Amino acid sequence: MTTSTKNPANNEALSVRTVLTGVPASPGFAMGRVFPVINREISVVEETLPESRLADEEQLFLKAVNMTSKEIAQIKEISETRAGMKDSLIFATHLMILQDPGLLNGVLDQIRKHHKNARWAVHVVLGAYIDKFESIDSAAMRDKAADLRDLYNRLMAAMEDSGPVLEDVAAEDGVILVGHELLPSLLMSIKPGQVTGLAMDTGGRTSHVAILARSLQIPLVSGLRNFAAMAKAGEIILLDGSRGTVIINPNEEDIRDFHERQEVFEKQRRELFTMRQLEPMTRDGKYITLHANIELPSEADRVTDFGATGIGLYRSEFLFLRKNAPTQDEQQDAYRYILETMSPCPVMIRTLDAGGDKLVSGINAVNESNPFMGWRSIRVCLDKTDLFCAQLKALLLANTKGNLRILLPMISGMSELRRAKEHIRKCRQELEAAGHKLAPVKIGVMIEVPAAVMIVDKLAKEVDFFSIGTNDLIQFTLAVDRTNELITNMFQPHHPAVLSMIYQTVRAAHREGIPVAVCGEMSADPMSVLLLVGLGVDELSMTPWSVMSTKKIIRSINFEDVRETALTVLQMDDAESVNAYLHKKYAQPIMDLGISSVVGQVENSKK
Amino acid sequence: MIVKTLVVSNKLGIHARPAGMIVDVTGQAKSDVSIVYEGSKANAKSILNVMMLAIPAGSEVKFEIDGEDEENVASQLESLFNDHFNEEPC
Repeated sequence: MTTSTKNPANNEALSVRTVLTGVPASPGFAMGRVFPVINREISVVEETLPESRLADEEQLFLKAVNMTSKEIAQIKEISETRAGMKDSLIFATHLMILQDPGLLNGVLDQIRKHHKNARWAVHVVLGAYIDKFESIDSAAMRDKAADLRDLYNRLMAAMEDSGPVLEDVAAEDGVILVGHELLPSLLMSIKPGQVTGLAMDTGGRTSHVAILARSLQIPLVSGLRNFAAMAKAGEIILLDGSRGTVIINPNEEDIRDFHERQEVFEKQRRELFTMRQLEPMTRDGKYITLHANIELPSEADRVTDFGATGIGLYRSEFLFLRKNAPTQDEQQDAYRYILETMSPCPVMIRTLDAGGDKLVSGINAVNESNPFMGWRSIRVCLDKTDLFCAQLKALLLANTKGNLRILLPMISGMSELRRAKEHIRKCRQELEAAGHKLAPVKIGVMIEVPAAVMIVDKLAKEVDFFSIGTNDLIQFTLAVDRTNELITNMFQPHHPAVLSMIYQTVRAAHREGIPVAVCGEMSADPMSVLLLVGLGVDELSMTPWSVMSTKKIIRSINFEDVRETALTVLQMDDAESVNAYLHKKYAQPIMDLGISSVVGQVENSKK
Repeated sequence: MIVKTLVVSNKLGIHARPAGMIVDVTGQAKSDVSIVYEGSKANAKSILNVMMLAIPAGSEVKFEIDGEDEENVASQLESLFNDHFNEEPC
C-alpha cells in the first residue's frame, strides 16, 4: 500500500488527502460517502455502570438479539431467492445460537452481576466462545468460529447507539460500504442503487466477495489493509475499482481526473455493449465460441446480455458450500433453472469439485497435508457414489431441453473416466426404467492434471469435448502451489511447458473432431486470449463481464498471425521470453482497443 | 433422574447439524439436561456448548436428564443417536 499527502496546507491534520492502493477486484468508479460496516476490528470499551442503568443495558442487548434474529431471517429469505436455492441451514444455526441459554444468560450475568455495559458483555461472552472454537482442532469447528464472528458483528452493529443500518440507506443515496471484511451475505442484501462502491481491508481478486461484486457490477477495491479503521462515516471518498485505488478527502484535481476516468470507463463499457450482437470472429474469419462461467444459478439470467452464447462452466460445488448437502430435488431445481434459462445455448455443468481450496463441510472432513493432490473432486464422487448419483440424476432430470453437457473434473486416468461414465449410464437406465424420458447429454472431461495430457489421445476417443482448467493445470505442471505467497511469481500461465500441454490437448482433440474449451483466469487475460486462439482453442469461458472485451480482442486479430505467434513462443526457453515477445508485438494494439479500464492495465497484467 | 449413555454412530461426529438436532429436543424439554463427554459436563440445551465438545464418531456420551418429562427426552435422544442423526453411519 502506498500513501501520499500532497496538499496538507489547506486542511486540518485529520482530513488530509490520502491515496490508498489495494487490489482492483471489481471494475468501475464510485464517488460517495463512507458507510462503515462494523467488524471485529472495532474497539469495544469496558464500562462499569450504576445499578440504575442496568435495566436499560439489558433491554439494549435483548433488542439487539431480536433485531439480529429478524435481520438473519430476512437475509435467509433474500439469499434463497437470489441464489435460487431453498433453505440454508447456516442461517438456521445462526438463529439457534441467538437463543442459546449459555450465551444469553452469560451476557445478562455480565450486565446484572458485574454491572458491565451490553457491548462489553457481548464482547466478553461471545468472544470467549469464538476463542474456544478457534482452538478446536477441526476445520469444521473453526468454520463455526467465522459464523460466530458474523453474529458478533451483527449484534455489535445492532447495539450502536444511532448505529447506521443498511436498511435505512435510501436507494438514491449510493453509499460506499467500507469494512475490514465484507461478507457475501451483506452483498446479497444490497438493494439496487443503495451502494455504489465497496472497499475492504482483506481479500483479493478471486475471493467469493469479489466474484459476487463483479456479477452485481459494483466496483470493489480489496486488500486495503487498514482502511476501515481510517475511514470516517459520511466522509466523501473516490473509489476506482479498475485501478484499485481509494482517495480520501480528494482535491479538485482528483475529482476532475476521476470524472475523466469514469467517463472513459462508461464510454468503453457502452462501446463494449455494442459488441453484444457481433460475432466473436477474427478478421480472417475464424469463429471463437465465448461462454460465461457462473457461480450462482440466478446469474444465468444475464449471461446472454453480455454476449455469451452459453455457459462454459457452472461450478456446482457452490450449491454444496453449506452445512448440508442439497437434496436431489434442490439440485434438480437449480440445474433446471440454469438449463431452461439458457436453452437452446449449451450449459456445461461440472460435477462436484469439492476439496483443494474449496472445502465442503460434511464431505471433506479430514485435514489433509496436501489437499490439492488429495481426496477431492471426482475422487470423492467415485468413493461416495450416493452423493455422485444424486447429482447425476438431478442433472439428467433437469435436462429437459437437451442442452446439458456434463463436465467431469480432475480426471487422471482412463478407468476413472470409464467408472464415471458407467455411473452416468446406470443413473440414466434407472430413471428411464422409472418412466422418465431423458434428453441426450454430452459428456466431457476437464484437462487439468498433466497425466491427462499424456494420455489425451485415448481420452479424446471416449468423450464429446475437453475443457482445460488452466489454474490447476499450471499448478500441477509447474509444481507451484498457487496459494503459496512465497512462489506466486513462479505461477506462470505462459510457461512454454504449460503452452505445450495446451497445444497437445488441442491437437489430440481435433484429430478426433471434438472441441476444446479453456475455462479459468487465463481465458480473460488479453495476452493469453491471443495465445489460446493461436494454439487452436475453440471456446473460451470467463466471467460474464469479460466476454465483451474478449470479443473485441478477437475481432481485432488475424488467426494466421496469432497462430504463427503461438508456434513461435512454443519454442522459447521460458515465460519471461514469451511475455517479452508478446508485449513487444501486442501491448500497443491492445491498448489501442480502448478496453483498458475494463480489463485492467495491459502492462500490469503481465507482471 | 435418568442417566442415559449413548454412542455417536454417525461418521462425522457431533458437528453443527447433529448439535442442532439435540438442542431441538432438549431446548423444548421441561427437564434439565446435561451432556457429559470425557469428564466435561455441559448444558445440553446450549448449541454452543454441545458443539464445543467436538465429539467425534464412536464416542460414548452420557446424558443426565432430570425433570417431569425425563423419560420422553431420553427416548427422543436415543432415537436420534440410533438414526445416526440421519447421516451416514460409521
